[in-house]
Amino acid sequence: MNWDLVIFYYLAFAMVISSILGVLSNNPIYTVLLVLVMIVHQAFLLLTLGSEFLTAIQIIVYAGAILVLFLFVVYLINLRKETTRSIFVRRCSLALIIFLIFFGMFFTNLMLVFRNKPFIQAYLPFNFNEKASDVWWIANYLFKNYLLQFEIIGVILLIAVLGSVFLIRKVKSINN
Amino acid sequence: MLGLTHYTTLSIVLFLIGLFGFILRRNLIVMLVSLEIMLNAIIILFASISHFTKDISGYIIVFFIIAMAAAETAIGLSLVVLIYKKLKTVYSDEITNFKG
Repeated sequence: MNWDLVIFYYLAFAMVISSILGVLSNNPIYTVLLVLVMIVHQAFLLLTLGSEFLTAIQIIVYAGAILVLFLFVVYLINLRKETTRSIFVRRCSLALIIFLIFFGMFFTNLMLVFRNKPFIQAYLPFNFNEKASDVWWIANYLFKNYLLQFEIIGVILLIAVLGSVFLIRKVKSINN
Repeated sequence: MLGLTHYTTLSIVLFLIGLFGFILRRNLIVMLVSLEIMLNAIIILFASISHFTKDISGYIIVFFIIAMAAAETAIGLSLVVLIYKKLKTVYSDEITNFKG
């Protein structure tokens, strides 16, 4: 039995089904929890791609920080359940064009999947190099070639923190 | 055999689900969650391309995408809380203040 394909198809179907149920659910709490299921499965998908570091980052940042932030906001805002769904009838032609483009890409990919030989093959214990793990490679490239981008993403995170604090404080001062 | 096309197909399907949720739903929080689903599809695409071409740049782009998603979520959720404080609603078709 080919365990690569079994593991990949399990992860893919779990991700697709949980994200479809999350998008279609009426309750926002169920949406956030189902997307949490999708993100944990995606972390294991990144593990099959040979990246232990990105798996850890995915679980820590997405499941630990971002989804918890969403849950706090859902609990903070007292929502009633969404009863009706809006239907975009007037944008139907635009939606049809976008759908046809994406369906063309999907169908081309599916044809390539069901041919016998995909053009690049993979095996499950994936590694760039047997001697060093991917943490070594990422650190080596991140602090040599991508140092400026690393500093810029740090500044962007600082601006995000300052911006959210500034937004909340401004409303308080107006109300007082 | 497991190839690059499997991962790109999964990425396209997830991106379509996220786009569908972003267009269909009216709740601003669920729209932000749909944006996260689309970003995860992009992460799968970059990581698989990086793995199959034996180039580390895709993993570094994934690292940057995750950091950018954290910043985007913080700003977006603070804006949602602000909108809820001002207008007492988070549904995108009820926010009609700028019509004049």
